[in-house]
Amino acid sequence: MKGARQQHRHQPFHSILAALSVDLLIQILERVDDPRDRKAWRLVCRDFLRAEALHRRALRVLRLEALPGLLRRYAACLDLLDLSACPGLGDHALATALFAGAGSWLLKSVSLSRASGVGWRGLAALAAACPRLESVDLSHCVGVGDREAAALAAAEGLRMLRLDKCLRVTDVGLAKLAVGCPALENLRIKWCLEISDIGIELLAKKCRDLRVLDISYLKITNSSVKSISSLGKLEVLSMVGCSNIDDEGLQFLNNGSNSLRSIDVSRCDNVTASGLTSVIEGHMCLQKLNVGDCFPELAPLFLSKLNGLKDSLTVLILDGFQVSASSLKIIGVNCKNLSEIGLSKCKWVTDEGISELVAGCVNLMSIDLTCCRMLTDKALMAIGEQNKKLVCLRLESCSLMTDKGLEHIGTGCPNLEEIDLTDCPITDTAMKYLSRCSELMILKLGLCDKISSEGLVHIASNCQNLCELDLYRCIEVTDDGLAAIATGCSKLQKLNLCYCTQITDQGMKHLSCLEDLRDLELRGLHHVTSLGVTSIAIGCRRLTELDLKRCNLVDNVGLCALAQYTGNLRQINISYCPVSSMGLCKLLGTLKCLQDVKLVHLTHVPVERLELALRAYGGQLKKLKLFIGLRDLLSPWLIQMLQARRCRIRWVDKPLVFSP
Amino acid sequence: MVPERRRPPEASSKSSSSMMSESPRNRKPDLPFTPFDSTNLWCGDRHGRSFLEFSPPLVTQSNGLFGPDRETKSKNQHEPSPVDDPVMDWNPRLMLSNLSFLEQKIHQVQDIVRSIISHEDQFLDQANELAAQQQLVTADLTYIIIQLISTAGTLLPDIKNALLSTNPAVGRPGSNQKQHEILPVEVAKASQYDSLIKDLNSCGGKEDELIKCSNNSGVEASEPIPIEDHDTKDNDDGMDGENLPPGSYEVLQLEEEEILAPHTHFCLICGKGFKRDANLRMHMRGHGDEYKSPAALAKPSKEASIEPQPIRRYSCPFVGCKRNKEHKKFQPLKTILCVKNHYKRSHCDKSYTCSRCRTKKFSIIADLKTHEKHCGRDKWICSCGTTFSRKDKLFGHVALFQGHAPAIPMDDAKVLVTSDKAQVSEASSGMPGNMDYNFSGNTSLDAQSPDLKGVDDGHGCFSPMTLDACNIWGLAEFPHSAYEVSESTFSFLATVPFKGMEKIKFQAAGMMNCSEQHYPVIIYIRSNKGVQVETSIMTDAHARTVSFEVPVYSWHLNPTSAEISICRTQHERGKYYKCRIT
Repeated sequence: MKGARQQHRHQPFHSILAALSVDLLIQILERVDDPRDRKAWRLVCRDFLRAEALHRRALRVLRLEALPGLLRRYAACLDLLDLSACPGLGDHALATALFAGAGSWLLKSVSLSRASGVGWRGLAALAAACPRLESVDLSHCVGVGDREAAALAAAEGLRMLRLDKCLRVTDVGLAKLAVGCPALENLRIKWCLEISDIGIELLAKKCRDLRVLDISYLKITNSSVKSISSLGKLEVLSMVGCSNIDDEGLQFLNNGSNSLRSIDVSRCDNVTASGLTSVIEGHMCLQKLNVGDCFPELAPLFLSKLNGLKDSLTVLILDGFQVSASSLKIIGVNCKNLSEIGLSKCKWVTDEGISELVAGCVNLMSIDLTCCRMLTDKALMAIGEQNKKLVCLRLESCSLMTDKGLEHIGTGCPNLEEIDLTDCPITDTAMKYLSRCSELMILKLGLCDKISSEGLVHIASNCQNLCELDLYRCIEVTDDGLAAIATGCSKLQKLNLCYCTQITDQGMKHLSCLEDLRDLELRGLHHVTSLGVTSIAIGCRRLTELDLKRCNLVDNVGLCALAQYTGNLRQINISYCPVSSMGLCKLLGTLKCLQDVKLVHLTHVPVERLELALRAYGGQLKKLKLFIGLRDLLSPWLIQMLQARRCRIRWVDKPLVFSP
Repeated sequence: MVPERRRPPEASSKSSSSMMSESPRNRKPDLPFTPFDSTNLWCGDRHGRSFLEFSPPLVTQSNGLFGPDRETKSKNQHEPSPVDDPVMDWNPRLMLSNLSFLEQKIHQVQDIVRSIISHEDQFLDQANELAAQQQLVTADLTYIIIQLISTAGTLLPDIKNALLSTNPAVGRPGSNQKQHEILPVEVAKASQYDSLIKDLNSCGGKEDELIKCSNNSGVEASEPIPIEDHDTKDNDDGMDGENLPPGSYEVLQLEEEEILAPHTHFCLICGKGFKRDANLRMHMRGHGDEYKSPAALAKPSKEASIEPQPIRRYSCPFVGCKRNKEHKKFQPLKTILCVKNHYKRSHCDKSYTCSRCRTKKFSIIADLKTHEKHCGRDKWICSCGTTFSRKDKLFGHVALFQGHAPAIPMDDAKVLVTSDKAQVSEASSGMPGNMDYNFSGNTSLDAQSPDLKGVDDGHGCFSPMTLDACNIWGLAEFPHSAYEVSESTFSFLATVPFKGMEKIKFQAAGMMNCSEQHYPVIIYIRSNKGVQVETSIMTDAHARTVSFEVPVYSWHLNPTSAEISICRTQHERGKYYKCRIT
């Protein structure tokens, strides 16, 4: 009675649903985009939580132990389930979790990328539990083989499947999938080295709806291309590094019986201009052409054939070619609609050529000029004048570029989002020009040793969207620069500060207000102590990757702080750090998400303690880097156990050298 | 009257008849040679005007042939010397001896004819005697003629070479009398001699046939039919056998009885059948010395090369078959052997069953033997149960049939040997083919208190689960399988390793006595929720127990009962046996 009365009393008081119905709440929720705001929403009350559960369509699970509860809450409406961050996920856990959904799953898409613990039993349970399954990502699950593929083949409605680097999948597994999932539209079997022509032939016969196919690095021959050419709906074909395919194979694509839009034949050593010419002849609507590193010289025939693709071609990747000014002029004249061009590591690219190119292709959005060392400011001037829509510019190792050139970019390309200036002799002035590009998201300034905090202040003043900053070996950068960045660029997710030796704990303290920071590299920072690391750990809760190699002052305190606060840490490098066994045990004993740990030359940790720490680790290690001298000292039982749990140990054979 | 005298003419006439039968004009190979009878010869004499229809040189020759012996003799006598051996160079002495032999022969014939004339009245009464006499005369005359021709033929180097190279069995046709006239005759002339001999032989038919035949031969001698034949031969040389345009070949359709007949060559005397002509010839030796001569035993010459034949193809008598000539896309068969094999493979029952796998059936014993060489080594298995020795063949099969997929052998199938089970099986092994099986599962498992308590247990706790699986191996359609089921007892143990685990472990205990080392079996399992699982394992011949794991895809659906079927092929799947989960 009492309880009932209480309920009565509480009901009108507590329930916000009296004022706002669930659908109204959901309407509001749809306008809340930021994940942090969403989290706050969830914490308001149960009704808000329930509304959020009804609204949520996608879920990425960061910690395995939360999986059953999460699935119980979100089972009803979830479309997408991302389990790629749970390497420890096993068949049993997956089956149990799916069992929690009680068979009412509407899941359409599941990502199990790098979840190498899932075997055929789990996949069979998945296929049976989710009748609407359309998309599965199993990429980089190296243990996946035919039996797993067969289990997955029970999902009849499967349309998209990624099997990149599923090393054990053979023709039989592929055949199972081809027969079981005839509706497949998107299939990626890159690096599935066991698959041969026979499997591809059957695939082409059974899955007639294939639109996207990635067969990169397979040991297939021309006959596979022949069977692929019969796929009428094929739009995207990627066959990187298929060195057994030559011009004869590409000629099968000459008939144009498929609706190819994009083809990638980069690194196919035996493909020459004549083979590509036949591909172009067959498909006059080709939009994307990647021929990087195929053959050294651009044949005039090939260039003239590009004329046929005049209107359609938007992406042209010519990495590693010898491209003369005249060739670039022909491209500029022929391909007016080009939006992306890749000239990385091309020889003989001159200012003149770039001018001719950009004069023709005014719609270019992405230009890759990596290692085109002959280019000077004139090229940048031409680009800045012609390509107002430029979004991405890569200028790594263009050692003749100066600040003046970047002035043209800064003024001419307001939409610039990504620029790579690694190893360019630029100064803070260039940063001043670049700060005009307010959309800038990725900025790479590695090895630009003239960049100082002043430059970063310029960037921080106007580039609020910056999410990736690379300051590798920018030795002039100090804590002030970081302070500016931390305040100006609050969305920063990735920061590389390796060997910026002037940085101290103060800088770390500034950085600790970057809540989105996920990837932080602090290699060789001699002035950073455990205090700095502690402030990072407390502030940057989302940190997943941390590199503390050769941070000579980081000890147990720092590790304890990391263990306590950064629960999502997946990769850590504490090689050469003066940490003792206590800190290591604390780190490995507490953190459950660690996958990749580098523990080279931990001079303060005795072998038996290291072994203890490794045994204490409860999660799923995937990679472990140790000094080779430990191979015989660690007990073979431990090594066997680690390997049995699918952990790869890399033994490093480097003498212990203390850096100055 | 003397057998020795009759033999040579028989042999020679036989050889000439075989030549005849292969010529395109007389395409009746099955007709046995009928020897001349004197009546026909006489008829030929009486109807001498029929020979007038021959072309002039033939007339003179025929006159010479059938004319008085004296003329022949006188002409032959002043021939220098005939040669008997065709291979040897011209030998005058040999020819002389030949001629003198011929002389004797003619004298003998003369004697016979005289005696016939003198006893004409008697013969009227004794028709048989007369017929015998006539036969003798005919035979002797034929022999004489052929000997004459061959003797004279040695003198014509051109003809000799042309004919000997291609047609050694014919003998050596040539001019018999007016050798000096014929000497300059070209090779083409030889065909006239050919036709001459044929006419001679065809005289062996009925009276009217003789006329017809002589007419025919006359026509043929003058008409350019051989040239036509040459044309077709050219076509044959130029054509690919497979892409013959319709009409460019002759289609022969054998009847079903002919195709299925075990023998094609029959002894004319005793009727015994043989598969090969050579065997028949060997058999014929037993019927008399006349069949022992080298000529009778010699392989019948192939005259296809000299007498161009039209291309012959065969049609399958099965209407609707692609190999049947009525079919729109008719594809002819090349040889009679092809017809036989095709008909047996496609339209006959497959009566030969492989003794190892007892699955594959063949209608041709050679196919069975080929299969048996590879049987049991097939490691590529389709979900339908068909096995293949090659991966590409399996994939071709999978591509062809909807819903078929390669089966994956269970890599974690463990083969356990349990001695107690073996003892049970040995104890219970009865007669082969016995359909009553004692399943140890019924007894031993029931005794083991089969409660499914594992569901509530933690990790690693195994609990037995009884599957009421009797007669799993004793299927009605299974006793003849490679596993001699009769000698085995099987029990099924199902264990649920831990809660929520989606696998059941089945253990088939018993002895499998199959002759091969490894055999694939397919296991189908369906639960009451309608879930069907298919998997295949390789079993070991000498294993007493086979255990394997099968996935139950929707374990969360809580199947209360399951059924299992273990079979070699999909077609054997028909029977499911209940496994009750208690």
